[in-house]
Amino acid sequence: MTSDDVDPVAVAPLIAAQDITRGFFGNPVLRGVSIALRPGRIHALLGENGAGKSTLINILSGGLRPDSGRIVVNGAPRGHLTPSDARKAGIAVVQQELSLTTTLSIGENIGLGAFPRRFGLIDYRTLAGRAREVCGLVGLDEPLSLPVGALSLGRRQMVEIAKALFRNPRILILDEPTSSLSARETGILTDLLGRLRAQGVAILYISHRLNEIMALCDHVTVLKDGVVTADRPLAGIDAAGLVRLMVGRDPGDLFPTWTAPPAAPPVLSVTGFAAGMTRDIALTVQPGEVLGLGGLVGHGQEDVLLGLYGAIPATATAVRVNGATSLPGRVTRANRLGIAYVPADRRREGLHLIHSIATNLMLPAFARQHGLSLRRRRQEQGATAVLAARLGIKGDLMRPAQALSGGNQQKVALAKWLPHDPRILLLNDPTRGVDVETKREIYRMLRQLADAGQAVILLSSDTPELVNLCDRVAILREGRIVARIERRDLSEAAIVAAAMGAATAPAGTGGAP
Amino acid sequence: MNAMNAGKTSAAVPGRLRTVLQNRALQMLVIVILVWIVAGLSSRGFASFGHLRYLLELAAVIGLVAAGQTLVVIAGGIDLSVGAIVTVSAISLPLLSGAGDATGLVGLLATLAVATAIGLVNGVGVSALRVHPMIMTLAMATFLQGALILVAGGTAVSAHNPVVEWLGSGRLGGIPAGILLWLVVSGATLALLHATPLGARIFALGANPLATLLSGVSVPGTTMLIYAVSGFTAGLAGIVVLGMNGQGYVGIGDPYLLASIAAVVLGGTSVLGGRGSYAGTIPGAILLVTVTALITVVNASPGWRNILFGGLILGLLLLSGRERARR
Amino acid sequence: MTAAEPLPRGVPPLYGPVQARRNRGLYGLYAVVLAFLVIDAVLFPGLLSRDGFARLTQNWFPLALAGMAQALVMLAGGISLSLGAMVSLGAVIAAVTMSGPAGVGGGLALVLAAGLAIGAATGLIVVRLRLPAIVVTLAASFLIGGTALLILPRPGGAIPDGFSDLLAGDQPIAFGILVVIVGLWKLYLATPLGLSLYAAGENPVAAHNAGIAVDRVRIAAYALSGLLSTAAGLFVAAQTGSGDPVIGDSFTLNSIAAAVLGGVGFLGGSGTMRGALAGSLLLSLMINVMFFLGLPPVAQYVAQGLIIIAAVALPQLRIRGRRS
Repeated sequence: MTSDDVDPVAVAPLIAAQDITRGFFGNPVLRGVSIALRPGRIHALLGENGAGKSTLINILSGGLRPDSGRIVVNGAPRGHLTPSDARKAGIAVVQQELSLTTTLSIGENIGLGAFPRRFGLIDYRTLAGRAREVCGLVGLDEPLSLPVGALSLGRRQMVEIAKALFRNPRILILDEPTSSLSARETGILTDLLGRLRAQGVAILYISHRLNEIMALCDHVTVLKDGVVTADRPLAGIDAAGLVRLMVGRDPGDLFPTWTAPPAAPPVLSVTGFAAGMTRDIALTVQPGEVLGLGGLVGHGQEDVLLGLYGAIPATATAVRVNGATSLPGRVTRANRLGIAYVPADRRREGLHLIHSIATNLMLPAFARQHGLSLRRRRQEQGATAVLAARLGIKGDLMRPAQALSGGNQQKVALAKWLPHDPRILLLNDPTRGVDVETKREIYRMLRQLADAGQAVILLSSDTPELVNLCDRVAILREGRIVARIERRDLSEAAIVAAAMGAATAPAGTGGAP
Repeated sequence: MNAMNAGKTSAAVPGRLRTVLQNRALQMLVIVILVWIVAGLSSRGFASFGHLRYLLELAAVIGLVAAGQTLVVIAGGIDLSVGAIVTVSAISLPLLSGAGDATGLVGLLATLAVATAIGLVNGVGVSALRVHPMIMTLAMATFLQGALILVAGGTAVSAHNPVVEWLGSGRLGGIPAGILLWLVVSGATLALLHATPLGARIFALGANPLATLLSGVSVPGTTMLIYAVSGFTAGLAGIVVLGMNGQGYVGIGDPYLLASIAAVVLGGTSVLGGRGSYAGTIPGAILLVTVTALITVVNASPGWRNILFGGLILGLLLLSGRERARR
Repeated sequence: MTAAEPLPRGVPPLYGPVQARRNRGLYGLYAVVLAFLVIDAVLFPGLLSRDGFARLTQNWFPLALAGMAQALVMLAGGISLSLGAMVSLGAVIAAVTMSGPAGVGGGLALVLAAGLAIGAATGLIVVRLRLPAIVVTLAASFLIGGTALLILPRPGGAIPDGFSDLLAGDQPIAFGILVVIVGLWKLYLATPLGLSLYAAGENPVAAHNAGIAVDRVRIAAYALSGLLSTAAGLFVAAQTGSGDPVIGDSFTLNSIAAAVLGGVGFLGGSGTMRGALAGSLLLSLMINVMFFLGLPPVAQYVAQGLIIIAAVALPQLRIRGRRS
């Protein structure tokens, strides 16, 4: 898996962090961590959420100072890096949270902070030339003058990568770059990283997708609870082994055993449904069933959920939702009809970060209670304590939700609906950017809900999830359902083929699955 | 971000003490008392019961306007039309109090209905038309300003309304009616914010409107309601002002716009929404009138008066009003 | 990866298309402005003469500057409630100094320096101390307005006639100055500092990560905004021939209205200066038209309120179908 002409280990590292310790509020996050990035090597950084990956990246890119330890850049040791040191050393970071300015054009975004100048002015000609070049590398063929706001999430991610390349990095750090990329875009990125490796760039690659890491990387550092538990070549270890290193014990089976739902009349069925970019959607789901929604990112899957939830305008020719014969139209009515929705972007759509965990858990209840009734604090405390125990959230529930790790935040976003016993649960990519252990817990919870007779519609960008959890999967492309795959035919290959439009037998757009 | 599991049990006790000390309402109250003591020692008439009672009467008007403003600001909005609504209320009450209205209650209720309706229109504009609150309420203020001159002209109108006169100058057990009204409204506002699900919804709305919508809260309903309440409390304030002044004229409510916002902000409510309490606004309003009174005592020119006032707000902000940067 | 030199041939240009795209979404506004221009010209045929054009642009000029000043701060993610007080201060300084020993040149320098300095100070407080702009500028409006009252407690002072005639006479010099200012703005926006304003306003954290000196960019925007505000005050003083310590009050509201009509957003980083200019022209034309229609000034308020709401609400209603 190493590139063939150089032996990377023999080459001195471009940057190395040695014995780094860093804490927040007296809470150690990194303890004696060392990592060395060598030219011509793709180095994977693995660890669960909260293991300290983001902190380590921030220290490497000059965003944070370590409490102790040193950073060696090109053989010269120092106590810490400033952001400008990092830039001078040729470090470019592709952050997990996009850092683009939506109102500026693709070209301007790529050059931002590193504009070529002429007489103090931005040299738009040079900018256009070089931006076109890096766009070519990542397969962006949109006009450079297009505002970034007009692009889909996946395309923006590619702009972000182009922006990093624009700085001619010698060290490239990518924090979950593929979380919103389509399979094709992921392929382009993989090829690109291979070429950069051949050119001698040192690459640090962070991802939760183990198969990507197995296919792409040469070397791996695993962080667990702020300590390096492995620093070794990837050759000779398999995915299960990696998980064992991250979790610290045997991964067992990630997915719970599938059980067939008992036959029952559907709790939700729509035909001729249209919302956002989707057209002519027909869906049914029965109690105890998990219906998957798959497809490439941005082909209308989210619009289906939001339309069913009444968050965006939707129409349908025939509807049955938990006894009602019309679409909810509004979120409040959707809730009354027993529909609950867990958004993908938990920070923006799922949680009130500045409010306490307890308040977050109680909000759907507050929405239902009579507005001017008296709150019963003791009862609220009891209810939230029960929920927190069920989720395994420890500590003070009066802490703000932003103090929780990403995985725990996602659990809160899901758990706030549980006391209301929703009949239909709409899940929008519930495990995006979530660590393995939380994934397992979410899967288990999902299985429990289905076994308790709730209907689940699961939108997922993680194909193994669709294969292992769903009773049926509907694949969307360009706003229409192009394939419906039953449990017995479910496989990653079938889903990907259908999503890419390579399905052997295109399914009709009409009848229910 | 994911590394902030600080605050274990060992740190809980001093943490709680710090929370109390950092309580903005308490801080403001301490500042008010200190200012009163210093002013009372240096100026003879200041600390007299009558003068302090008078200050509280003035603070009551600001406090009433600021009650609605606090709700709106916590919900992530702002109401720049409260000054105009105070004027509308002070001018329309005499016009709405007919001869057959012996107790004056009909006129009073009609006036409050008008004020509430104006607030409701603000709420509809913000929630249904999705106009930014600052623009919606600013435009409403502009509109009302013109409409008032069209209706009332440049003249002052006097009220002969028993209820209003009582609210302006009546007492109950030695306490001015305006202050009593403020106490009632304060109690109701605090209860609404902190003891009802509606209050929780208002906080949620200000912290993250999208997540609040997706959690099943009726965002348009809540928005309309709080702007209507803001119109209502501004209307109440207008009636008290009318009662205290005896007559209403165009521009009578203008000072209360900035005063209400200043009281809310001094009271520690975040202008970004989602955080705060009316408990801080109350001493905030008292501090504002106290300082204004002190500036008057010093007999400064209008220029210095403005500078002192602005300097004070800025100074208090610099001292304790740091708003943590939020994305 | 390879170095970029030499430039590949046949690379499509970037600057032109980027500029062209900035007009998107503004065509409706341009059309409304044009319609008002036509109405104005019909009501007042003298508009097409040099004299009439000079008058029209002079009425527009101070609001144009104020609108630009507000747009600058809004692009930086803030808002200025002290803009009107700054206009007053500019007018007062001009009226007091220009007829004194400082002369026109000295007065001009003082007005502009005061604007730049106070703007920068405001920006420094907002940006460095992380205080909300709305509250800081609210307090600043008292401080600045009070200072204006101290300098000139009641309307008075004088602007030399020659200077008044130059700026507000029958030659469209004000328009010429506006063209120069817009040119300078385009130049500023073509510098890394200027263009970074969009990034710093929309997402300061990300801009910082991209290597932009976010604080400097934002403070510069506040300083330039102050400069434009006091310049607007100077022009107002030249128009009236004297200073008035509260003459600028209406500019706070109108500048926000102009910027918002022009599509400048409240959250920072969205909107264009050309939009703010068009918005200010629209407001100024509206006032003109209502004046010619013989509406009393109070009716203007009513109409203004309604038109602002309509202008902001209509595009919102159109895109309602999309996601919130």
